[in-house]
Amino acid sequence: MKNDGCTPRACPSGEPSGSAPAERGAPLLQLGRRPPDRRAILGASVAAVAGVATGSGCGNHHFDAHYKELTDEDKRRIFERIEAETRHKTGVDVKISAPQPMDGVEFAYALDLSLCNGNRRCAEACARENNLPDVPKFRYIQVLEMDRGTLDFENANAYYEHDEVPVPGKVYLPVQCQHCANPPCVKVCPVTATWREPDGLVVVDYNWCIGCRYCIAACPYFGRRFNFHEPTVRPRNINPDMGYISNRLRPVGVVEKCTFCLQRTRVGRYPACLEACPTGARKFGNLADPNGEVRIMLERKRVYVLKEELGTLPRFYYFYG
Amino acid sequence: MSGKQPHPTWVVAAGLAWALGAPTGCDEHDRHAYPEPPASVAPETVTVEPRTQLLPTFPCSSKCHAARAPQPEKRLLTEFHTFRNAEFHHGDPAGWCYQCHSQENIDRLVIASGELVTFDEAYLLCGGCHGDKLRDWRLAVHGKTMGHWTGNKIRRSCTGCHNPHNPTFPHLVPEAPPVSPEHGERM
Repeated sequence: MKNDGCTPRACPSGEPSGSAPAERGAPLLQLGRRPPDRRAILGASVAAVAGVATGSGCGNHHFDAHYKELTDEDKRRIFERIEAETRHKTGVDVKISAPQPMDGVEFAYALDLSLCNGNRRCAEACARENNLPDVPKFRYIQVLEMDRGTLDFENANAYYEHDEVPVPGKVYLPVQCQHCANPPCVKVCPVTATWREPDGLVVVDYNWCIGCRYCIAACPYFGRRFNFHEPTVRPRNINPDMGYISNRLRPVGVVEKCTFCLQRTRVGRYPACLEACPTGARKFGNLADPNGEVRIMLERKRVYVLKEELGTLPRFYYFYG
Repeated sequence: MSGKQPHPTWVVAAGLAWALGAPTGCDEHDRHAYPEPPASVAPETVTVEPRTQLLPTFPCSSKCHAARAPQPEKRLLTEFHTFRNAEFHHGDPAGWCYQCHSQENIDRLVIASGELVTFDEAYLLCGGCHGDKLRDWRLAVHGKTMGHWTGNKIRRSCTGCHNPHNPTFPHLVPEAPPVSPEHGERM
């Protein structure tokens, strides 16, 4: 179930071959309606993110007949085009990369609720790392402030302003994408523009998203954000180290979300929110590694997941250290 | 009497049937066997972030204490470190400098066994009382870890986050909140 296999978006790769448009058989993805440019981008993203799945032979003949897998050279050209577009638009030299999932890795996050003091450093670091727009100002990480002794999400306040935190009598619970193993957001997407990667990251294809926001309605954790307006990032705030399916600049009208800083974590680094947390409440690691931080925490501490009864199987664990 | 009880074989069979049929849809997702950890992941090396180089007046012996003989009796500090009198909030009120600092070598800390440890190894001293936290810290469950999750980790020592003379974590000014979608924002 980690990689739910043969959905059209997870397996195929490459652009449609020019001579054989998607006219034979059922047009699974209605490719003919989209401009060629968009197809090229789709191909790149799929090839980039699902190379492992492609190799495992779960394609079917429709895709064999109508698509070709992007070569590294094709991907490089697409990345260079996006880099040039970003340079033209913002004046900043950026580097696009598409790091692949590592074998035998399933990412998981853990957060020590006894340490979190609601200072929101995580949300700010996330915004800078992931090129979140300065206007409108939204954040992937929502720090909920609740009365001590309750976990009352209905009356939680994510917009608190205090001179100092923690405020006596309050507790803080940061919520971001929980990277569910059974993600409801992925199920409702009518165009399969969002999917779960082999390493457990739920990602969005910004070029394939049609902006219907079903996923936002389906997510029980408010883990997704929508670009209602053209997102503007001040050039000095742009992080030039960009991942193709994570923190590159997004267009208006698409959904975006936390990717556990895929562009960092897939090359071995920690997510930006973890590095920014002054209290050390955040833990990140490989759930598949029996000696990893997250597994040790899971085995030794009192661990909770949010809204367990929904069966979403989050890969984000809360514990009291 | 025995006729009314189910035959043991049936009990086992029923148990098997329950075990095979019981898992719900949710359980199935979590039942996958974890794959082997990747070979590419380097063996874990944990470095404890050094502290001494961050201390502005270290080494204490060569800077000030060389010229002064240790005074082992507890007293209010009137010449130097005077802010410690007000700042010091750590455990037993009877405690003071030489509970943790060594009288023989002011550049070292003294742990319960009488051994001297450097300021970089302060966790050995802290763990003398806070053993549960030391255990969790060694497992990376408590405390801040930086570096790379794949192997090379840098762990911040106790005194990197907690002021040992006043170890309650300081209050912080929170970052500004996001803009509530209810209030909207002018573009």
